[in-house]
Amino acid sequence: MAETLRRVLSAGSAGSAAWPGEENTAEAGPPLLLLGAPGSGKTALLFAAALEAAGEGRGPVLFLTRRPLQSLPCGTGAARDPMRLQKIRFQYPSSTRELFHLLCSAHETPGPAPSLLLLDGLEEYLAEDPGAEESAYLAALLLDTAAYFSHRLGPGGDCGLMVALQTQEVADSGDALHLALLQRYFPAQCWLQPEASGSGEHRLRVCLEPGGLGPRTEWWVTFQPGGKMTISLLQTQAGDPSSDKGSSSGGHP
Amino acid sequence: MAVALPAVVEELLSEMAAAVQESARIPDEHLLSLKFVFGSSAIQALDLVDRQTITLISSPSGRRVYQVLGSSGKTYICLASCHYCSCPAFAFLVLRKSESLLCKHLLAVYLSQVVRTCQQLCVSDKQLTDIFLMEKRQEN
Repeated sequence: MAETLRRVLSAGSAGSAAWPGEENTAEAGPPLLLLGAPGSGKTALLFAAALEAAGEGRGPVLFLTRRPLQSLPCGTGAARDPMRLQKIRFQYPSSTRELFHLLCSAHETPGPAPSLLLLDGLEEYLAEDPGAEESAYLAALLLDTAAYFSHRLGPGGDCGLMVALQTQEVADSGDALHLALLQRYFPAQCWLQPEASGSGEHRLRVCLEPGGLGPRTEWWVTFQPGGKMTISLLQTQAGDPSSDKGSSSGGHP
Repeated sequence: MAVALPAVVEELLSEMAAAVQESARIPDEHLLSLKFVFGSSAIQALDLVDRQTITLISSPSGRRVYQVLGSSGKTYICLASCHYCSCPAFAFLVLRKSESLLCKHLLAVYLSQVVRTCQQLCVSDKQLTDIFLMEKRQEN
């Protein structure tokens, strides 16, 4: 999933260099956790990833969220292309029990398998049923469902997985435990940090750590008052764990 | 630490699989490595394999899950796609404390793949859903 998000951000920011082997691959990358405070643009980025995957000519996109989106984020160029929107299938599990049921019975749903599975507002489902065992099973089932979709997509099929989790300004120990547990299942993480900015626009710093030895990349994403999203590349760090491990964790909440 | 096996363990398991293909048994030095890496879990896992307590359950959909009958008589599920077992040891020692790489049930599943002695069971798609959901109910 990390690679789908990278394509969203790279395509949106003019002049950002692609790294070797990146172009023309529709590889989804490892499961990704999208982390940010309330209102930091997690849903908008999820939706941008949904549009990106919907335009890649593979299967449909399954978007799980507790409630319908209030408004469609304008996003970048591809947004609101009706052909793409049609490929995004929304489902609204209204409780943790319903979400579990949906994932456990994903193999009973007929039709083409999704090429991307998205879940918004994981924190709401976890809050309802806060046991660590429960969280681990939910995370593992999300991975298992995406793996099953990949299997259905056939050889070379790869269903991405991207889950948004709201982080608190002041995390308590229970939250830290939850996050550590989820991070085991989601090797790639993307942190959103809103920056103070005037004139009605909304700017955030997006930091993508694709997991493993992949390069850490940061972008600025700006939402104009009308909702239009613009992206610019901030920096890329080569994926050398010996040189940047210390600094890479320092900036995170 | 990610929920995946370290490369060295993956390597050991694939060497064991190759050896089993060739000579139909696990060489002693591999058993020693196994004991060295996993301690007493290694013996318990081999015992679970010997007693044929591991079942690979699949449905016509192609989705699969492992079920392991634990020594206490309880059954646990192990997901086929990622590192997860529903037993208390996995929740506590692996996830919470990070003291172990995996529980004896998951190790038994990997070993049963190596020696290819897994029971197979086909169920309907609906029954498979219930097996996934049952795990959730047991936890409560």
